Amino acid sequence: MSVVARLEEGALCPDRELAALLAQAKGDGAIVSFTGIARPGSKSGEAIYHLVLEHHPALTLQSLEEIAVEAAARFHVSHVHVVHRCGDIAAGEPIVFAGAASMHRRAAFEAADYLMDRLKTEAVFWKREVGEAGSQWIEPTDADYADRERWG
Amino acid sequence: MKVLFHGRLAEAIGPELEVESAIGCSVAQMRDSLVAQHPHVGEVLRSKRALTCVGDALVHDNYRLAAGDTLEFLPPVSGG
Repeated sequence: MSVVARLEEGALCPDRELAALLAQAKGDGAIVSFTGIARPGSKSGEAIYHLVLEHHPALTLQSLEEIAVEAAARFHVSHVHVVHRCGDIAAGEPIVFAGAASMHRRAAFEAADYLMDRLKTEAVFWKREVGEAGSQWIEPTDADYADRERWG
Repeated sequence: MKVLFHGRLAEAIGPELEVESAIGCSVAQMRDSLVAQHPHVGEVLRSKRALTCVGDALVHDNYRLAAGDTLEFLPPVSGG
């Protein structure tokens, strides 16, 4: 069992993270990974130039670790791997990588789904879109909170 | 006492305030006082999704502030 939870101030390379997870998962039968990408457009259609993800000096990493550890405890997975960026993120760049490895696929799918539902609503970041409409703070939607509630 | 703000609260109020006579006050009383001074972010300060912490640990509304504490107000968080 291994758990990786990392706050990344530089670039996030999903290929490299997946390769690291694959290297860990030698005895497993499945890996599921999710990569979140900064969208180039807002809900109302305006261009977004970049995202700003502000973070807390202690609580942000603590929240990533807590979510990753709880996913590892909850599902029959061998490895959990979470990397989340902070700072300025240009449209099109990866924001988050969430992956899990397991003996059988279902546990890895569920763990990745759970990781993202919790990261969306509980990871300690404050997110701002900067684009042609100016700067706007983005908070989880009611659907995001409902997705989180599915897991109890 | 030092009070720190994050996210949209830092944008609206500033990242840091020095508040006098806060020792012995509850978090709820501090929030009420801040809402009175900054009504434009009252909704954010009172949001049920907002968090408060002291010394990197979450605290509830009835926590009494002590000498040396730094209180932080965290608006609703969002990752992913």
